[in-house]
Amino acid sequence: MGTVHAKVQENLTEAHYPTNTARELPDKEQMKELDLKGVRARVDKVHIDGLSRTKNDIIQDSIQDLFKARDFWEVLLKAYTVRVKLDELGCFKNIAVYIDTSKGPKATPDGLEVTFNVKEHKRILGGVSTHVGNNEGVLQIGVRAPNIFGRGEKVQVEYSHGSKKTSNFNVAFIKPFRGKHRTMLNTSIFQSNTEYPPSAYKLMEKGLTLGLGFYSWPLLKHTLQWEGTIRDLSVLSRNASFDVRKESGLSLKSSLKHILALDLRDETIFPTTGSLVQLTSEYAGVGGDVGFLKNDVFVQTNYSILPDIVLQGSLTMGYMKSINKDLKISLADMYFLGGPLSVRGFQMRGIGPHSDGDALGSNVYWAGGLHLFTPLPFRPGKGGFGDLFRTHFFVNTGNVGNIEVKSGQSILELMRNNVRLSYGLGIALRLGNMARLEINYCFPYVHDKSDQTHPGVQFGVGVQFL
Amino acid sequence: MTLIEKISIELGAPEPWPSDVKLFQPYEAEQILLPDNANCLATQAFLKMCQLPYAVEPRPNAEAMSPTLKVPFIKAGRFVIAELEGIVQFVNGKDITLTQPLDNDEKSNLRAYMSLIHSVLEMAELYICWVDSETYNEVTSGRNGSVYPWPLNYIQNWNKRSQVIKKLKTLGWYDKKLEDVYSEVETCCESLQARLNDQKFFFDHGPTELDALVFGHLFTILTTPLPRSDLANIVRNYPSLIDLVKRIENEYFKK
Repeated sequence: MGTVHAKVQENLTEAHYPTNTARELPDKEQMKELDLKGVRARVDKVHIDGLSRTKNDIIQDSIQDLFKARDFWEVLLKAYTVRVKLDELGCFKNIAVYIDTSKGPKATPDGLEVTFNVKEHKRILGGVSTHVGNNEGVLQIGVRAPNIFGRGEKVQVEYSHGSKKTSNFNVAFIKPFRGKHRTMLNTSIFQSNTEYPPSAYKLMEKGLTLGLGFYSWPLLKHTLQWEGTIRDLSVLSRNASFDVRKESGLSLKSSLKHILALDLRDETIFPTTGSLVQLTSEYAGVGGDVGFLKNDVFVQTNYSILPDIVLQGSLTMGYMKSINKDLKISLADMYFLGGPLSVRGFQMRGIGPHSDGDALGSNVYWAGGLHLFTPLPFRPGKGGFGDLFRTHFFVNTGNVGNIEVKSGQSILELMRNNVRLSYGLGIALRLGNMARLEINYCFPYVHDKSDQTHPGVQFGVGVQFL
Repeated sequence: MTLIEKISIELGAPEPWPSDVKLFQPYEAEQILLPDNANCLATQAFLKMCQLPYAVEPRPNAEAMSPTLKVPFIKAGRFVIAELEGIVQFVNGKDITLTQPLDNDEKSNLRAYMSLIHSVLEMAELYICWVDSETYNEVTSGRNGSVYPWPLNYIQNWNKRSQVIKKLKTLGWYDKKLEDVYSEVETCCESLQARLNDQKFFFDHGPTELDALVFGHLFTILTTPLPRSDLANIVRNYPSLIDLVKRIENEYFKK
């Protein structure tokens, strides 16, 4: 984040305007000294310093708003949003904002000049980083060329290798478009290898994606994506279950996907208030030999009971069905449930149908969680290191299975039988702004004979948790 | 054969032959190629000679399902065993064998002839299917790609072709001319005919896995329609081999 430097002439303060709007200002200290909303101001000029490759038109688009400001408070707010917009273009590594009074022959009495001091990224950036994916550590090597044609376009090449033998190679081209919908084009070519020991198979995927992201409402994000992937599924070992073995071989999935996300939470890892709603629909079968229609929902809502004590409820469910008898559904497309990131107290993919100990997929699932996050007991390291931790009490529940919906039968009815339940407590740790690490002691309370439970200490690290 | 495979065969030994054994292979009518078909037929002939019941289970992804990535393979109870040699060992483990009366010399002879067939007839079949452009374009590409959607069929044909060519290169077959391939096949047939020496089977006492393997390859070569019928014409020059093929067909497949 950059800094906003504001200089206001002394004689403007509170001289002309009474402070009747003062209560609306959030910052009390500032209020005593200066009522920014009462200071009339207009922006005469905007300077952008430090542009070389970046084209003027996308910058002009981003700063338009600034000229509509009518008082100093608005100038500050809009300068901030412009800064965010410029930052979103991904062209600059550093943006500083200076606001000064307007000088020169054309200056108006209330006129201001806003200067954005930007520093463009180099043409090629590279780096090696480590991060955590779904329950594994990942080493990533990446090279990217930001702002390649001067309008925020980006080409990036990434290779990552995970501790659980996953590897991923990805070449992507990303282009932001002008306009209020903040449209973003995203295309990529990728190859990935992933092993799934709970299901005894590994998957090699090679594919193309073509995606368009946009906001239809300031916080309502849509992603439209076409994906064409060649998948090669093979068994991990000789004694893999025959039900997994018979799924081996190549398949070609060509699917259209729509993701709708509304994120009103105040932050992603340990939110204290707000909700997240995510709807995903995928239609596979536009070409290729894989066909299904898949719908998923994820809802999370947070509520602060007392300061620092947050109750979090989440619910996720999904249903997929075959669309054509000639098109197949691969094991890799199906739903699995259980594990430290979903229903805790069970092994990864531990709930639902198994064959010789290997998890087989299902076409319906639902899972819910009720979590209570509190600070650490006695709050060691308060205000610093200790704030990265939370104590965590939870109840998880869910069900997964293969269900064909026939007329007259409610799917809810069918999913109500044989519900699994687990509870436990543990410690959660924030890892950067992306991931969470949990160490829990779990008690699987209701489970099926064929389930693989994981009572006791369970360790989970990932991006999205139930 | 890896240690694990040997162990799994040993472990399977005490159990009797299950009644629901399935033999997995590609679709015969629209998918299977000459070399694979030969090996599948050889395995079937062997199982029939041992009078072991099995059911053929055609699957488009049979090759990918196989533990050695080669067809055919059988599923007997919990065991999955691929290719003729592995299956022969698995069957022997259950005290069923066709080579009981053979002495050690004959047994090593049998192994030598079996590897001759793999290293000559099978290579020649692969060469015709994947290197000869006429056969590749008219037959192989269509059949091999038939189970995949566009454009995966092209990609898969290209992949498979480069794999086969790589294999043929390492074994020195890729640089051969068509005539060289034919003369290799002739030499092979000649030595087989010499060994057969107008007997009923390769070894006096009765059929063995060698007869099954020869039957598989020669029968497939004789009956598979290809743009080039040269291979079949070569085999037709060896009447006693043709007799053997007819004898096995009548005895084991026409009942």
